Amino acid sequence: MKTLLPLAWASAWNRRLSLTLAALSIALAVALLLSVTRAREAAQTHFAQSVAGVDLVMGPRGSPVQLLLHAVFHLGDASHTLAWKSYQTLAADPLIAWSLPLALGDSHRGFPVLGSTPEFFRHLGNSEQNSLPFADGEPFSGLFEAVIGAEVAARLGYRTGQQITLQHGASHLDAHHHDEDSTHPEHADKPFRIVGVLAPTGTPMDRTLVVSLQALEAIHLDWQGGMPMPGLSIPAEAAGKFDLTPKHLNAVLIGLHQRTDVFRVQRQINAFGGEPLMAILPGLAMDELWQLMGSVERTLHGLAWLVMAAGLAGLVAVIVASLGERRRELAILRSVGAGRRHLVGLLVLEGALVTVAGIALGVVVVEAAGHLLAPWLRARLGLELSGAALSMAALRILGAVLATGIAASLVPAWRASRMALADGLLPRL
Amino acid sequence: MAPSIHIRDLRFAWPGQVAPCLTLSALDVGQGEQVFIQGESGAGKSTLLNLIGGVVMPREGRIQILGQPLDALSAPARDRFRVDHIGFIFQQFNLLPYLSALDNVLLPCRFSTTRARRAGARPVEAAQRLLDALEVDAGDAARPASTLSVGQQQRVAAARALIGRPELILADEPTSALDPRRQDAFLALLGKEVAVHGSSLVLVSHDPRLASRFDRCITL
Repeated sequence: MKTLLPLAWASAWNRRLSLTLAALSIALAVALLLSVTRAREAAQTHFAQSVAGVDLVMGPRGSPVQLLLHAVFHLGDASHTLAWKSYQTLAADPLIAWSLPLALGDSHRGFPVLGSTPEFFRHLGNSEQNSLPFADGEPFSGLFEAVIGAEVAARLGYRTGQQITLQHGASHLDAHHHDEDSTHPEHADKPFRIVGVLAPTGTPMDRTLVVSLQALEAIHLDWQGGMPMPGLSIPAEAAGKFDLTPKHLNAVLIGLHQRTDVFRVQRQINAFGGEPLMAILPGLAMDELWQLMGSVERTLHGLAWLVMAAGLAGLVAVIVASLGERRRELAILRSVGAGRRHLVGLLVLEGALVTVAGIALGVVVVEAAGHLLAPWLRARLGLELSGAALSMAALRILGAVLATGIAASLVPAWRASRMALADGLLPRL
Repeated sequence: MAPSIHIRDLRFAWPGQVAPCLTLSALDVGQGEQVFIQGESGAGKSTLLNLIGGVVMPREGRIQILGQPLDALSAPARDRFRVDHIGFIFQQFNLLPYLSALDNVLLPCRFSTTRARRAGARPVEAAQRLLDALEVDAGDAARPASTLSVGQQQRVAAARALIGRPELILADEPTSALDPRRQDAFLALLGKEVAVHGSSLVLVSHDPRLASRFDRCITL
């Protein structure tokens, strides 16, 4: 090894152009593999942060993943509801520290509008903070007041004090491409004032607007069946005079005094006699959701490995092609004492050197891209790239790449030792 | 003391050949002897060197180098035996172009601890002394081998064959790339250094004019 490494290096340096190209293609594949892995890890952290602090999610009985999509990602049409009275009965349980009733259904220019209570901002957060940080303003206190997520503010250029109107109907992911969504009727008569803008959290909160449950009741006072009732119009100033206690909720986020009570509370909710309800552990449902998305990730990974195979095939091709010109070199090495194992070692080392160079370059590319793109990813996708440069998963992948590279180098090595044996000390050119 | 080379009843053919390309009933080279082997192109000169070097094995016959029967050694052992005891000089393109002349000279010491040990405590100094004796100055020794003239390259190759005092030097047409005046100068230097080191020299060439400098002349 000590003998061969300087030789392998000098010989490789002598052919640096073609080997650099081979290393570049490996670097590209490494960058792709690492990016896929990193994006997966970032998304996983992002998912986990979205439910940080929440012990249980309660909702109408049905699919846990769907409930999670409603309650945590504020996505989809929440047609199933639970009654306000059921919520009040169950939330009185002394094991429950806090509970946040959630109502969905309206949207603003493609962003979901969430109805809840002002306590919402106190209890939700991410892994670092236990409450949602405000970039500007404060939680809502009045009826027609709204707090908006960081991305909503950034995309739509909103600041505190501005007036906005909500659209009836749930948001769709692509809705903000056509600004005035004609399929959704407007709550134009009851505008909201923005009183707070949340700081970026890297959770779905960044793309959500939050108003009070009462406000959602108020804007639907003169509505029925999803349309304004003809001939009836209650002005915003008058809305406060009505009973604005919400009748239906879509989900409830629950925090417990003791995490160990989680199964007890879950059983109580599942066994509730008033209506069919369920409580889910957000972490478990998140894993289930993650498994649904796993096939996408596996496909991406598969593609990245195909690119890697192409890169290594290129490496083998470059080294095998060079052997023709190197018969003289190999014969000279034989004459000064290199045995077959030395020749094999030399060529495997060369392959390993190129692979290592490719890996190093790929890591540098991913790191540099990560640093350059991190602000953009955070702003646009709410994805927080993990601080650890190389996770265990990434290191395992790099190890596998190196092993594959070395294994691939055995092909030219075997050929070289065959050639050297046939040529002897004097290649017959 | 065992002779450097002892060959009996040798027959060799490359794989696929029916007629042997080399037959040799007897060849003996004593310790310190300088022998010239003359043969036309295709007479099997290079094959003979491959056989003596243990790179290929004969179909029939016995080869003993320094008393060691080569067929008693495994292939890796023959590789080791070769570098420990034999130095090679070829017609041309002897050197690895990407190494300096000095590093080329040191190559056998990399692969053979025996050669490294016999080159002394500091093989680099031994290499420099050899290059100096063979009239390659220190500036040229540091340059990549590919930038040297053919004459210089042959002298570097001779230094590499001699480093670590191998008992046997095998040279294959080492002068054919040189003009006649330089041929003579090269052979004079080589002969002197081989004698200083006490090695045996076997030089094969098609050119009978070279014979005068040798103890003995054999025609293939």
